[in-house]
Amino acid sequence: MKRYKQFSKWMKGHLYLYLFAVGVLFTLQYFRTLTPLFIQHIVDAIFKGEPSALPQFIQRLIEGDTIRQSLLLVAIFSIAFTFIRVIFIFVHRVLTSVFAERVAYNMRNTIYNKLQNLSFSYHSKAETGDLIQRSTTDVDTFRMFISEQLIEVMRLIFLISFAVYQMSRMHVQLTLITLITAPIVFSSAFIYFIYVKKIFKRVEEAEATMTTTLQENVTGIRVVKAFANEHFEMDKFDKTSKVFRNESFTLLKLMAVFWSATDFIIFIQYALTASFGVYFTLTGGMGAGEFIAFLAFVGMIVWPLRQLGRIIGDFGKTTVALDRIDEIINQPSEHEGDASKTPDIQGAVAFNNVSFQFDDDDKPLLKNVSFTVDKGETIAIVGKTGSGKSTLINLMVRLLENQSGSITFDGVDIKDINKKHLRKQVGIILQEPFLYSRSIFANIGIMDQEADRDKIFKAASIARVHDDIVGFEAGYDTLVGERGVTLSGGQKQRVAIARMLLDNKPVLIFDDSLSAVDTETDIQIRRALSSYWKNTTVFIITHRIVTAKEADKIIVLDEGEIVEAGNHESLLASDGLYAELWDIQSSIAYDFQKRHKKGGN
Amino acid sequence: MSYFEEESYTDTSFDFAVWKKIFRYMKPLKKYFLIGFIAVVGLAILDVAYPLINRFAIDHIIEANSFRLLPVFIGMFVIYVILISILVFTFIYNAGKIQVELAFSIRKDAFTKLQELPFVYYDRTPVGWIMARMTSDSRNLSDILSWGLIDLSWGLLMMIGISIVMLIINFKLAVITLSILPVLVYVSIYFRKRILKAFRNIRKQNSKITGAFNEGITGAKTTKTLVLEESNYRDFDRLTHTMKDHSIRAAVFAGLYFPTILFIASIATAFVFYFGGLEANTNDLFTVGMLYVFVSYVGQFFEPVMMLATILARFQQAQASAERVMSLIEQEVDITDRQEVIEKYGTFHSPKKDNWEPLQGDVEFRDVSFKYKKGEQVLKNFNLKVHRGQSVALVGHTGAGKSTIVNLICRFYEPTGGEILVDGLPMNDRSVGWLHDKLGYVLQSPHLFSGTIMENIRYGRLDATDEAVVAAAKMVEADAFIKTFEHGYQTEVGEGGARLSVGQKQLISFARALIANPRILILDEATSSVDTQTEKVIQHAIETVMEGRTTFVIAHRLSTIVNADKILVLEHGKIMEEGTHEALIKKRGLYYKLYTNQFQ
Repeated sequence: MKRYKQFSKWMKGHLYLYLFAVGVLFTLQYFRTLTPLFIQHIVDAIFKGEPSALPQFIQRLIEGDTIRQSLLLVAIFSIAFTFIRVIFIFVHRVLTSVFAERVAYNMRNTIYNKLQNLSFSYHSKAETGDLIQRSTTDVDTFRMFISEQLIEVMRLIFLISFAVYQMSRMHVQLTLITLITAPIVFSSAFIYFIYVKKIFKRVEEAEATMTTTLQENVTGIRVVKAFANEHFEMDKFDKTSKVFRNESFTLLKLMAVFWSATDFIIFIQYALTASFGVYFTLTGGMGAGEFIAFLAFVGMIVWPLRQLGRIIGDFGKTTVALDRIDEIINQPSEHEGDASKTPDIQGAVAFNNVSFQFDDDDKPLLKNVSFTVDKGETIAIVGKTGSGKSTLINLMVRLLENQSGSITFDGVDIKDINKKHLRKQVGIILQEPFLYSRSIFANIGIMDQEADRDKIFKAASIARVHDDIVGFEAGYDTLVGERGVTLSGGQKQRVAIARMLLDNKPVLIFDDSLSAVDTETDIQIRRALSSYWKNTTVFIITHRIVTAKEADKIIVLDEGEIVEAGNHESLLASDGLYAELWDIQSSIAYDFQKRHKKGGN
Repeated sequence: MSYFEEESYTDTSFDFAVWKKIFRYMKPLKKYFLIGFIAVVGLAILDVAYPLINRFAIDHIIEANSFRLLPVFIGMFVIYVILISILVFTFIYNAGKIQVELAFSIRKDAFTKLQELPFVYYDRTPVGWIMARMTSDSRNLSDILSWGLIDLSWGLLMMIGISIVMLIINFKLAVITLSILPVLVYVSIYFRKRILKAFRNIRKQNSKITGAFNEGITGAKTTKTLVLEESNYRDFDRLTHTMKDHSIRAAVFAGLYFPTILFIASIATAFVFYFGGLEANTNDLFTVGMLYVFVSYVGQFFEPVMMLATILARFQQAQASAERVMSLIEQEVDITDRQEVIEKYGTFHSPKKDNWEPLQGDVEFRDVSFKYKKGEQVLKNFNLKVHRGQSVALVGHTGAGKSTIVNLICRFYEPTGGEILVDGLPMNDRSVGWLHDKLGYVLQSPHLFSGTIMENIRYGRLDATDEAVVAAAKMVEADAFIKTFEHGYQTEVGEGGARLSVGQKQLISFARALIANPRILILDEATSSVDTQTEKVIQHAIETVMEGRTTFVIAHRLSTIVNADKILVLEHGKIMEEGTHEALIKKRGLYYKLYTNQFQ
């Protein structure tokens, strides 16, 4: 029942197409089993005047006065009949593919939409490759299942049933004899393909290992060459390549055994049917035409049975794929039941006793954090890796939730503010910003699709990335991301800043967003920005003390707690963690300046 | 980029030269080809013979109304069953053998070439391109040359066999029936080509969708913070919509193929019904059994005709694969050693390590110029002298020429003018292998290989003992964190070192360089953001590794720069300032500006 629901959920609204397609398929298989009867009709009915096995209504259509006329009618009718069959086949294919493609379309869009709306914590735990696999390969597995495998199973069952029906109309005993090996053929294929799945998996694993070795070699070729380890690498690759070759061949050998062994059984069946067929024809009860028809019907039983066993033995994949897709779909969306308030945010921010801890973690990431920021102020948050800086930011735009205490914007608790609205008002420039695979121009203009060249150029200039972009062969039309050029970390960060400049946000957060830019440019950009964003509340997250130095307020975080707060001078004077960090980062400078002074004297 | 466009290779004309090269790989597999071919001939004969055996029963037993020959019939059938099982096994076994061996030897040659190719090649060749040659192209090629070739022979042989038998049995009826064949072949080829094209389109669209999923997932945080969900979804919907339309259109077109063939064949069957029926009724020499044979043969014709069209289309694809694979295998190695150098130092494949003298570490650039193939002049008349054991810090903006200098020292590139001397001798008087054997290279976005930590450190010197590995790790203070792992040095680092933090990877790569004990060390620092504590440990590691070696550092860390024996401030490929930290600060020039900016 659960499985059925899982299936039907994707087909909703299109199921009628499928049922129609199956109906057409059913008729088609009946037609197919009529084809051997034409020769039977010629040999038995036309030549010898014995009964024809063709259905009555067809017999009436092709009744001729002379043998010549009868033959001509059979010939013409068989063409017309095939014409109808052909149309049915075409209609069936079109119906099936329209149905399958609509289902796949529906699945892809649903999954994509869900992925975008899944919470940040889900994304930070999930593996990209795995999610992509589910969104593409697993969807394809299901599409193939409904459009090919399931259809094929039905086709084969219909075909076998009609073949048995047609045979039994001619000769019951011979029909039973024709079915003797059926259970063996079916079950040997079924069992074999269940067994061989394991071997398939081993081959796939061997190939994956080989590909990894190759990939690591190519991406790490500098290291390989610098240590002159080419021969070592060749041996390593040779080994994995050999394992893959051997596993593949093991599988092929098993295939050879399977196909030849089942061919053996199948032709034994042919031999049995033919021999008994001859016997029955001679002892009476069967015409030569019926014998010929039986020879054709054997083929409509044994080959399909082998195919059927093979497909059913292979079935498991689809349910696994559906389960994997469901694991994504059944996750709650982060926008479900979200608050509806959309206040105009001015920029006063307050943290009141905020603590945060992941459910599966025993240590809180933030402990009783309280501070206030006035509209237009710049606040720097400093701390080591793991001190809780990022957690604090993620809480501010509700990428993470369920903290205790409260965060307010202009006095309104963010829990009461609509998430998307909140994120539109609070801009974050990430340390590792993502650029979309389109032109640089479009990437900067992504927040304001109507922005003209001047506006984009100006933003890029302020972010000190204009010269870099102009330096590219295709300038602003350069494609980035997946299919385009790879920008350096610093270039990406600067494009992200330019992108943010096109939008007026009352609150901006720089999440270590100049870490990959050299110090000189860092200073230039910050200078340019501070005049640009005069009335904006700015949060600067950093571990570079020089960057924090000029802020109105500095908060020092350590293990989730505010250990110090103040401005540069007061913090240096208090001689705590801030002063210590400052010392480490500038020790060499001071050290040198001392030496330098001595030398100067 | 156009050089790497997949489509640009799909030329339709048959290229004999390419296949001749591929033929080289098939030669050692002669035996399997021969046996496979014999099996296929046997199978084709059996397929042609099958209706004839039944005809024997119809004409000589049923129509003769006598049991006398029934044992003969059964005997024939038994032999048939035995033969077919043996031949099917032989055919699959040999085709399989050819497939795996062919793919294996192509991969092997391509991989060896990849190791031989100089660094330049990797600069201009995308990783994905190389991967595709080694995986899908070599698979395509080996598939078509094993199964494709054997299926092709089977199809052709069977069609020829059927035609001959038909013509022998009844010439007139055979000619009438076979007249349909050219139409069948033409239609088949017509459809195959277009279907292939339609599906290629779908594959393209499909990879766009995969790309969009990838973007949706890896860009999730950015999308959320910029609230771009709706606009992304609209873009995605456009993609999937196109995909749906393309797929349905392709399915409709492909759906016409089989019915058309079936219909044309039904005309042939109708001919047999009418003309054959008349013949059987009037001509005593044309028996009912023969009529049966004709009807069967018409049915047996389908499969090979449809299959031949498919295989021909696949041969075209395989030719494209062959061209791409061969272009990799035959890629010229730009940097080669001179004949007399090879004589002394050996080749890439058989180095003569006994003749390799030690390297002291003096490096000199004499009037060196360098220009990338399609780029601007990077270095012009560059001069630099470094004594053994000295450390040189290269400072300057991106594009100033820092990486070029390093790449020239590693002989990843050759200078376009002037020469580089190592220990007083021109660099190309020694082999590339010799140089790389004595060189160390540390990247700060370090590359680790799947395997254990032990194996990764040992990568620096493959014959190092476990004790030596641990000692090296201790020297760079990596031992401490390694020991905290449950499996210690046997901890798997994951693909590309994914299970370790950036700082940990860096320390391991220092240990790896240390164990290699190179005379010349190249250190490529990254503007990385590790926290202050880790930074301290790494700083110490750098100092340890640099101790007593000639070192070139592309420097970003102030500490490394300050401690260097020589600082080169580069701009546009020229040395703007040169000297120690103190001297340069005194000068109050470019370096002073760069330096003081850091602490404003």
